Amino acid sequence: MGVLYFFVYLMIMANVYGILSLSLNFQAGVGGMSNFGHVAFFCIGAYTSTLLVMLCHVHFLVGILGAFIASGLFAFLISIPTRRLKADYWAITTLGAGEIVRLFFLNESWISTGHYSGGPFGIRGIPRPWESIIPGNIYPFFYLFLTLLFLGLTYFILQRLINGPFGRVLKAIREDDDLPLSLGKNIHEFRVKTMVIGGAFAGIAGGLLVHYTTYVDPFFFMPMETFIVWAMIMVGGIGNNRGALIGTLIIQLLYYSTRFLKDYLPIEAQLLASLRMISIGILIVVVMLFLQEGLVKEKKRLY
Amino acid sequence: MLFQQIVINALIRASELGLLAIGLTVTYDILKFANFAHVEFACIGAFLAYTMNVTLGMNIILAGLVAILVVGVLSIFIDRLVFIRLRGASSIALMVTSLGLGIALRNGVRAIWGARIKGYAIGLQNPVELIGVRITPVQIFIILTSVISMVIIHLILKRTKLGKAMRATSANPALAQACGIHTERIVRWVWFMGASLAALGGIMIGLDTHLTPRMGFSVMIPVFAISILGGLGNPYGAMVGALILGLTENIGLYTDLGKILTLNGLIGNLTGLYIPTGYKLAISFIIMIVVLLWRPSGIMGKRER
Repeated sequence: MGVLYFFVYLMIMANVYGILSLSLNFQAGVGGMSNFGHVAFFCIGAYTSTLLVMLCHVHFLVGILGAFIASGLFAFLISIPTRRLKADYWAITTLGAGEIVRLFFLNESWISTGHYSGGPFGIRGIPRPWESIIPGNIYPFFYLFLTLLFLGLTYFILQRLINGPFGRVLKAIREDDDLPLSLGKNIHEFRVKTMVIGGAFAGIAGGLLVHYTTYVDPFFFMPMETFIVWAMIMVGGIGNNRGALIGTLIIQLLYYSTRFLKDYLPIEAQLLASLRMISIGILIVVVMLFLQEGLVKEKKRLY
Repeated sequence: MLFQQIVINALIRASELGLLAIGLTVTYDILKFANFAHVEFACIGAFLAYTMNVTLGMNIILAGLVAILVVGVLSIFIDRLVFIRLRGASSIALMVTSLGLGIALRNGVRAIWGARIKGYAIGLQNPVELIGVRITPVQIFIILTSVISMVIIHLILKRTKLGKAMRATSANPALAQACGIHTERIVRWVWFMGASLAALGGIMIGLDTHLTPRMGFSVMIPVFAISILGGLGNPYGAMVGALILGLTENIGLYTDLGKILTLNGLIGNLTGLYIPTGYKLAISFIIMIVVLLWRPSGIMGKRER
């Protein structure tokens, strides 16, 4: 039974990260925006939903909606200073923003529930949705279904956007600014919108994560999380949603399965943790060198 | 805190980060991408010097010099192995590659040297008093080394053929090549220069504070903030940017905001309101955002978007 539950846990995490990689793919793969701070939206979503549900006692779905809106708003804020800039500046600013958001939740402990203060010690006892109705032994399966539902919703909406006129303009902007400009498209506005949509969906992923773990602290949201999501979309194939999902599954399996190598190999846990990170880093480099389009290539369509 | 002390602290910080930022900006100038693995060269350099200084018992200056050379050569090796295949690739591709490389290098350091905090064998530093300022001999050494290095960089860039060739390659690689400049050789020199400057900066940070595998990553945002402040690609801008960042950080952290808000007690009584030190990083970030909003090409860069 243990193996089955672990597998379910793995799949729940894959769904959560699937939403993250779909949203990053929307910004980076389709929109061509180098967002290196995707974890910021993940983090804001997680904390917004936690605080709404725990302090304002609203329903889980309202919490998720709050996460959606708050992350979207933050994405809007971030894109104000950067919307006119080159990719290099995007990367640095978003990376910084991700760290600042984490610092905020690390340093501010007025975000509290009752007697306890948040900060580095995290927030415990985040309620799981519909826990009173569903028996404990099938709850993981229920949550798996729930996250799958949200993943499906994200996929459906983003796919519609990508295939629609919005996505076509976005892809044109990704290739070159001049063509969409000559057709009277406001490229800055498109970039801001893309950032907001992607950020908002990443917020949902944050909410879904913490309502399952029932615990959150700022160390969930290290910059490494962003890089792992990047690895997912690079391996799967940047610019298409199916690739992003396949990449998510591969990296997720690789990342979680190697955690247990220490039971079979005589190496220290510390060293193993480093080696796992090194392998992710090398994987990114190798994909960039030899498999630039990823496992699933983006379909080029002629209109 | 005394104003002179704040200035000296700012100068120390600027000396350490300035070296890193100059290295970053010089590589950006030629290679035209933001190298996210750059700060890891600082980390590797610092740890190599640690091994030679503490484990092998070498003199710290000699250990530092060897470490700097080794890191410079390592960077050329990495260029041959990885980045040479990506010449002319999109800046996103280059940045993502450098990101992956950074992860591998950072965790490589952690795998080899472990995560525990380390320090050089330079003994306990007793601060001396100069014009009412407390400063340790090592900190004086850091400032002097940094100033000397910057003068050397200036001379290389402005007085040597290499500097001239570098500027030509930066402005127009094709034209430079047509004029008989071996641009790949220039690229190699730039990697060497950038990485060894980073290593030097890393050793300086290690001398002033301590060594951890995250020491490179934790200064990434300040270093990028300095480079953007000075205009990416402009080494002189980076020098000025480092000073501005050092001053802003130290003044920001040691200024009583309560006194400013109440106009020194004129309205209400509020003292002891400081920016928490946990937000030190936020100061760099805010500098970066302000510069990007106000003058995206930096204070000393050309105006272009």
